[in-house]
Amino acid sequence: MSETAQRPAPIVSARGLRKHFGRTEILHGLEFDIPAGRIYGLVGHNGAGKTTTLNALLGLTSYEGTVRVLGKDPYRKRAELMENVAFISDVASLPRFLRVRELFALVSNIHPKFDQGKARAFLEGTDVRMEARIKHLSKGMIAQLHLAVVMAIDARLLVLDEPTLGLDITYRKRFYRRLLEDYMTGERTLLITTHQVDEIEFMLSDIMFIRDGDLVLHMRMETVSTKYAQLLVDPANVAAARALGPIYAETRFGQTAMVFDGVDRERLEALGAVSTPTLSDLFVALMQRTPGAGERR
Amino acid sequence: MKSMIALIKREYLEHRGAFLYAPIGLLAIFTLAIASALAFNKVRLPYEVGIPSALKFYELAFAFAGGLWFVYLMVALFFYYADAFSADRRNNAMFFWKSMPVTDFKVLSSKMLAGMTVFPALIFIALLATGMVLYFHTMLALVVMPRLVVPGILDVIWSSLRIGFFGLVYLALALLWYAPFYAWVGALSTVFRRWSIPLALLVPGLIGLLENLFFSDTGPGAGHFLGFLRQRADFSLDRRDIQAAFMSDQPVDIGILLNSLVGGIDWVQLAGGLIFAALAVYAASEYRRRVIST
Repeated sequence: MSETAQRPAPIVSARGLRKHFGRTEILHGLEFDIPAGRIYGLVGHNGAGKTTTLNALLGLTSYEGTVRVLGKDPYRKRAELMENVAFISDVASLPRFLRVRELFALVSNIHPKFDQGKARAFLEGTDVRMEARIKHLSKGMIAQLHLAVVMAIDARLLVLDEPTLGLDITYRKRFYRRLLEDYMTGERTLLITTHQVDEIEFMLSDIMFIRDGDLVLHMRMETVSTKYAQLLVDPANVAAARALGPIYAETRFGQTAMVFDGVDRERLEALGAVSTPTLSDLFVALMQRTPGAGERR
Repeated sequence: MKSMIALIKREYLEHRGAFLYAPIGLLAIFTLAIASALAFNKVRLPYEVGIPSALKFYELAFAFAGGLWFVYLMVALFFYYADAFSADRRNNAMFFWKSMPVTDFKVLSSKMLAGMTVFPALIFIALLATGMVLYFHTMLALVVMPRLVVPGILDVIWSSLRIGFFGLVYLALALLWYAPFYAWVGALSTVFRRWSIPLALLVPGLIGLLENLFFSDTGPGAGHFLGFLRQRADFSLDRRDIQAAFMSDQPVDIGILLNSLVGGIDWVQLAGGLIFAALAVYAASEYRRRVIST
């Protein structure tokens, strides 16, 4: 059996993904695959190209290069694709003129994979009432309702672009817990972007960092802990630590912290306390940038 | 089909204010106004108006009400299309609709169809309700016009059915005739939102002006283009046929009206207009597919 026959086709595949706004290139030829059953985090600065990348994957914007989602060209086959893909956009809002009951009835008749019973069940225990008008719901309640709609769709790929933007910490925690407990299965793939990387770190299986339209990191979370190390350097060993080529260094309250890429942990342990950097530490280490650096003409 | 019906129902839910609640309000105000006029004896109808029977009085009133409702519908549809084709952008709801497995062409077609079916049907129901109100007003009017003979309920129903049937045929053909204009407003709305309201008139006006500027005195009247639009805007019946149908001692002869209506339509123009409408909706859907603007 050939290697390609053994490996299942990726859910998402991008080759040479480029995007121009006018004469400015925003995405610079991204290349990546997302296999099934994974939870991917796509992290980057504001304006790094996260939402543009997601919009290309969802068929919401044109692009150069080749993108396949579930084997389909998303830009040409968006409507077909949406039978198996669900998403919440960072700025998305539900139609405000509808009542919750009307919204569920509408989606039931439009989306063949929407289960109204599940959506109602997801809303149990919340303050969202079926007769409520969406325009009268709070921001948190609308987010709960939107998540209930999305989770009641039997999709193979769920894309969440800053789904908890503007919500309080309590709600954000509940949001991610329900996502993991009630929705994720081995057959489903989740792609999520957020600025609050620490909050989703526990659930991710893979991470992608995007900086100025380029993918600067794409790896499994377990690889992150073997590849990268953070060292709190003993004051006497700062020069020796610098000699090992840290990718990032900063001094906090008189103590120097450095992040290393691919340096043997045993060598580092001789110079101070070694730990695995959190995603936010790694983000800071890898995402140093010059403003405007990503715009190419 | 199921999703198309759901999308049309969505249009009804979003825009029912202009086509359900407003007509109910107007009918209520009309009923109260006429009732109070009759109750307080404010009606001064000279017998010389020559109305031969209360049934004729009812028929004329019913047909006049039909004309008013028709004008209301045409104006309301203009504003509906100017709004509906860009309404999904409101409050960033576009992303929600884009997450549904329906094409942009299907969504815009549902908006076009809603304006051609559900909303005219609501206004037609409003006309029938107006007929009932008018019947009771006719009964009350007999108090101040005692020389007129009370019409039988069956005669009134028969008249209502005949005039209503003609109204329905007229409405259906008028909607098909004006469909390209509404599709034009809708397509403009997809790009320019509510600016489509002035642009729908301004753009043809400018084209006519340019024609006159560059090809002066070669077209009829204001030029070929504006002359064509004037012809396309006209969907009226021959005045003589209207008089012949209504101005007699007999109940309204809708045969005359139907012959006048069907015989006066340029069917090639009508078919061409529908093709233009379909192309305009398709072009709008392609714009909506390509440009995510919120």
